Amino acid sequence: MTDATQIPSSGAARPAGKSIITTDDRTKKRNAAEKRFRMYGIAAILAGIACLVVLLGSILLNGVTAFQQTFIQVPVYLNPEAVDPNGNRDPEEMGSATTFTYKPIVVDAMAALVEERGIETEIDPGDMDALFSAAAVAQVRDRVLANPELVGETVTFNILASSRVDGYLKDRVTRDSVARDKNIDAGHLDIVDELRAEGDVVKRFNWDFIFGADASESRPEQAGMGVAMLGSFFMMLVVLGLSLPIGVAASIYLEEFAPQNRLTDIIEVNISNLAAVPSIVFGILGLAVFIQFMEFPQSAPLVGGLVLTLMTLPTIIISTRAALKSVPPSIRDAALGVGASKMQAVFHHVLPLAMPGILTGTIIGLAQALGETAPLLLIGMVGYIATNYPDGVASGFLDPNSAMPAQIYEWAKRADPAYYERAWGGIIILLVFLFAMNAIAILLRRKFERRW
Amino acid sequence: MYDNRASESAVTADDIKIEAKRVNVHYGTTHAIKDVDVSILDKTVTAFIGPSGCGKSTFLRCINRMNDTIDVARVTGDIRIDGEDINDARVDPVQLRAKVGMVFQKPNPFPKSIYDNVAYGPKIHGLAKNKGDLDDIVERALRRGAIWDEVKDRLHAPGTGLSGGQQQRLCIARAVATEPEVLLMDEPCSALDPIATGQVEELIDELRRDYSVVIVTHSMQQAARVSQKTAFFHLGNLIEYGDTDEIFTNPKDPKTESYITGRIG
Repeated sequence: MTDATQIPSSGAARPAGKSIITTDDRTKKRNAAEKRFRMYGIAAILAGIACLVVLLGSILLNGVTAFQQTFIQVPVYLNPEAVDPNGNRDPEEMGSATTFTYKPIVVDAMAALVEERGIETEIDPGDMDALFSAAAVAQVRDRVLANPELVGETVTFNILASSRVDGYLKDRVTRDSVARDKNIDAGHLDIVDELRAEGDVVKRFNWDFIFGADASESRPEQAGMGVAMLGSFFMMLVVLGLSLPIGVAASIYLEEFAPQNRLTDIIEVNISNLAAVPSIVFGILGLAVFIQFMEFPQSAPLVGGLVLTLMTLPTIIISTRAALKSVPPSIRDAALGVGASKMQAVFHHVLPLAMPGILTGTIIGLAQALGETAPLLLIGMVGYIATNYPDGVASGFLDPNSAMPAQIYEWAKRADPAYYERAWGGIIILLVFLFAMNAIAILLRRKFERRW
Repeated sequence: MYDNRASESAVTADDIKIEAKRVNVHYGTTHAIKDVDVSILDKTVTAFIGPSGCGKSTFLRCINRMNDTIDVARVTGDIRIDGEDINDARVDPVQLRAKVGMVFQKPNPFPKSIYDNVAYGPKIHGLAKNKGDLDDIVERALRRGAIWDEVKDRLHAPGTGLSGGQQQRLCIARAVATEPEVLLMDEPCSALDPIATGQVEELIDELRRDYSVVIVTHSMQQAARVSQKTAFFHLGNLIEYGDTDEIFTNPKDPKTESYITGRIG
């Protein structure tokens, strides 16, 4: 400071032509590079958007038809001799009449409708069953058993059309494809055309696709997502109930209380590693531990939830720790400085500030778990199992059930092309749930955003 | 500038509040504080000065055991407040910190209302029996923090909405609300403008009546203005400790002289 620093005097004259008005080669090159980089970025974003549009577009295009279903309005004469041979209208005795008894009734009603509309056809009246779903017979029977007083009357039913008829109205089934199909003839399609003109065959929104149960391989028109949705719901309850408290407690301990030593380092590394373990590994672990060793019921949402909890925990722990880390240390100092204990400092000051991050991480983790299929395959939550609504909460956790993504997988692998449409429709329902969860995450973050 | 303090220094009570002997602090392999002995008086403002990294803040944090929160810090030696060893195994740092309040370099109000900021300490220490009591404590603390008049109409507005100087006075009010006996201040004015600094300095002078105040500062003018005792730290050593007037007019150690005349640091 004392000895004057020697500043080299720029004795040489200023190089000529160094004006800032004209850009020199170096600057031009630099500007070009910058512009190029910006173009790459825009191109990458545009490519991403294009992919997203194609993806969503194809999902909507393929799946939206699943939400529509074809119904036939047909007046059915409930012949007392067939459905109630004893004539005492006792639902218990009438229950002995199976769908075999009812099928001819519906077939006759169908033939009668065709005749009444004056449709000329060479289809044998006995072959009219190709028009409606096998589920329609059960539909009629259920209604009769519930209302025995209807016996002997002619009641108009809205019965499910068969998947071929439904496909015909949705352009999936054509007269060409029918030529190779032994389930239905071109003559049936003529009848459908005429009935459609008369307003007896209608396509309308199909709530049963959203809230109904899965159906057997041969009845795609009856299959719905509702039971699998409940399966997913009960699984998410298990995941939320276990992974949130365990994950948050573990992160708080690791972040705020645990000493920094070799052991905690190893734990930390392993948590990061667990987050990268393929989900099918968790599935086989669940199969070995929960089902084979602990003998929990197979295919139960409880077991699915446990497996997904293992999978979600690392995600929640990592995001919670990041949220805790982002709380400025000055807040901890302030709390400790006025004599708060470490736990008070964490629970009164740090945790509320970390809440938005924790909630966001949890919901993202849940959304991930909701869309997870692979581990469910291994614990048997796939197949023709989502057929009955659970009777209560306990059965919701313990009875065999599927989950939304597993149901989609199940539909996609079934042979009937009508299930293809339903798989896409299922994806739409799943995506709606995921979007809703992400929206909730964003809203919660906005709401709890630190208000400094 | 500091000669007018000579008369005020006379008011200072001469009883020792904090007594430190052979205090050493290690941060991992770094020896941050080396054999520091110092006696800090009650009802006195003691300033710690010295170049950055000389250990003055570290030493300050020993007094309320804030170094406990740093895993790699190891403190040895003997620090007594009113003759009681603060590193005794029986001492709960929570009780110690209620007795030894602290104000930090950057104003750090909780992201809560002004009222809740001040009420938090009394609440967790059970100083108020009911809401009325708590209101009184909060008002008293805010008055002592010389900020009552500015915030009395918006006690439930967020403390973080105040200006920097107001926030720092709020933090001081928060610190005095728990009725401490010692107040540690770690560069309380370094983030403030000259006007806010002036207000805080006035406040420190007020606080001297009730507390033993220890202030770490980078500004020698500030040390000269507010303190009666000054300690000069250099590279972890306590080089010189004495009356502020003495240190600034007639330093004994050549290093002190170099520092206050601006040649090292």
